Amino acid sequence: MGYFTSLIQRKFKDVAGTRYDTVMREYREFLLTEEERKIPEVRSILMPLDYFVKEIPPALYETLSSYEGATVSLVYIIDLEVIRIVEDSLNADTMAEFKRKREAFGDEILQKATADLEKAGLSVKSRMFSGRKFDNIQEIAESHDMIAVSKKYAASMTDVAPVSPVTMRLAQTVTKPIIIY
Amino acid sequence: MLYTELLAIAVFLITYALIIDERIHRAVAAMAGAAVIIFTQIVPWDKIPEYLDLGTIFLLMGMMIIVNTARKSGLFEYIAIRTAKMANGSPVKVLILFSIVTAVVSAFLDNVTTVLLLTPMLLYIAKLMELNPVPFLLSEIFASNIGGAATLIGDPPNIMIASASGLTFNDFLMTMGPIVLVDMVIMLGMLYLIYGKGLRVQPEERQKIVQTINALDERAAILDRSLFNKSVATILLVVFLFFIHSSLGLEPAIIALTGAAIILFWSRVQPDEILEKIEWPALFFFGGLFIIVGALVETGLISQVAGFVVAHVHTTGEAMILIAWFAAFASAIVDNIPLTATLIPLINDMGTSMDVGPLWWALSLGACLGGNGTAIGASANVVVIGIAEREGINISFVDFLKIGLVVLVVSVAIGLGILWLRYIW
Repeated sequence: MGYFTSLIQRKFKDVAGTRYDTVMREYREFLLTEEERKIPEVRSILMPLDYFVKEIPPALYETLSSYEGATVSLVYIIDLEVIRIVEDSLNADTMAEFKRKREAFGDEILQKATADLEKAGLSVKSRMFSGRKFDNIQEIAESHDMIAVSKKYAASMTDVAPVSPVTMRLAQTVTKPIIIY
Repeated sequence: MLYTELLAIAVFLITYALIIDERIHRAVAAMAGAAVIIFTQIVPWDKIPEYLDLGTIFLLMGMMIIVNTARKSGLFEYIAIRTAKMANGSPVKVLILFSIVTAVVSAFLDNVTTVLLLTPMLLYIAKLMELNPVPFLLSEIFASNIGGAATLIGDPPNIMIASASGLTFNDFLMTMGPIVLVDMVIMLGMLYLIYGKGLRVQPEERQKIVQTINALDERAAILDRSLFNKSVATILLVVFLFFIHSSLGLEPAIIALTGAAIILFWSRVQPDEILEKIEWPALFFFGGLFIIVGALVETGLISQVAGFVVAHVHTTGEAMILIAWFAAFASAIVDNIPLTATLIPLINDMGTSMDVGPLWWALSLGACLGGNGTAIGASANVVVIGIAEREGINISFVDFLKIGLVVLVVSVAIGLGILWLRYIW
């Protein structure tokens, strides 16, 4: 029995040799690993909006719709600093008009985004307030599983900066998965 | 005369023992045995070309060049992913489709390369489905050995038989093809009966599996698009030429070597890179064996054994049954290449007293399907079980034996039945 066992072991010793290692290396190039196959659980998505985010690409709704059952929180922030500067330089009537126009724009984009997201099968919560865009979003992001933010968020686009500084800082500092559109 | 006969038998038996024992590489054992035969001039130097079956050696060499060049393109990984997608997340379909692909590829290319390239994909799918991978691996082993029996180039014993008997590619396909087809259906049916209950996934799980498999990009597996196209074109051309080789009056080895030359010339792949991948030890193993068996022929020992067999076995039908079962059970334990090399001259000698046509098929049937009997019966078995073990899946010798022996007995019995109906009835 001892001889027989060692005979079997000799048969199986280094069976396919380096050939199998080569094959496995080639397969690893395109087969997903166990870790890569795990889809992160996403139940809440934070979507910051502002005056600079003029439109949301339909492809984003398609992507978000793959997270079945997730709730999207639309947060429209009017910059407190801008309001302070405007208050300092304009009279009360003009200031009121400015706020009304900004809020109307915010309402419009929130309603449109809500309708499109609901059409994609997602439940939506929305709110609008004045605040500090980076600080507030960073704080709110803690209670969400994912962020979807425009590269134009909080700044207009320029040739030298294809992604706004606020979006860039969010991508660098927030620990949650982030989609930049 | 007695001295040379005894020496030829001793060299044959010692070499055989060394091949089984595996402490010394089988190629070294065969070369050492051949060296003794040539040194003692049992086979004279000028008779070596007569015994050295270059038809077999060159056919194997040509196919190795074609396969190794095609491999570089990612062709086999592409086939594996396409097959996985076609299964659409159904475990039973995975079992059937991978078995069919393995059998078809093994019928035209070497079994070890086939299983080496398909096993990682099968293991990946089984893991994805969270199912026991053993039925998938067993079906791959059985399909590889059964599929290899279908054609002249599918398994080395068939190449050797064709070279010795002059049987053509179409002869093999027409005779062994139907047997292989029936055996495949029976084998898959048996595996389904044994493992069918465990081959199920929940519909919601199946959806996830389909999504993950569909996310695999078969185009990403193609490492070199131009080489991929040239490989497919060359393989198709070679297979077509095999179909008509007898009409062209060309030996199968010439077709394989021509295909090898075409793919090397056309693809401009560095030849040394491909030529060093040729399994030279296997080719030297064949060469050595041919000389050792040649010594048995040269000394008249084979004629004596053939005379003994003919004296005791009176009809072709009886001889067919004897050869098929002997070859099958012997191949389950020892390498089918030396076995076939020994039985070929024996059958040739029996040709003086009976019609040996059906005996070639009986030998092919036994030598190819006998490999399914045990875990060490064929190279494909050892490779798949070895890979499984590396991935933490244990298929013990006894576990394999339980199902392997049943597959061996059933598949050989069915094949023998078909041959009987065709040639003896």
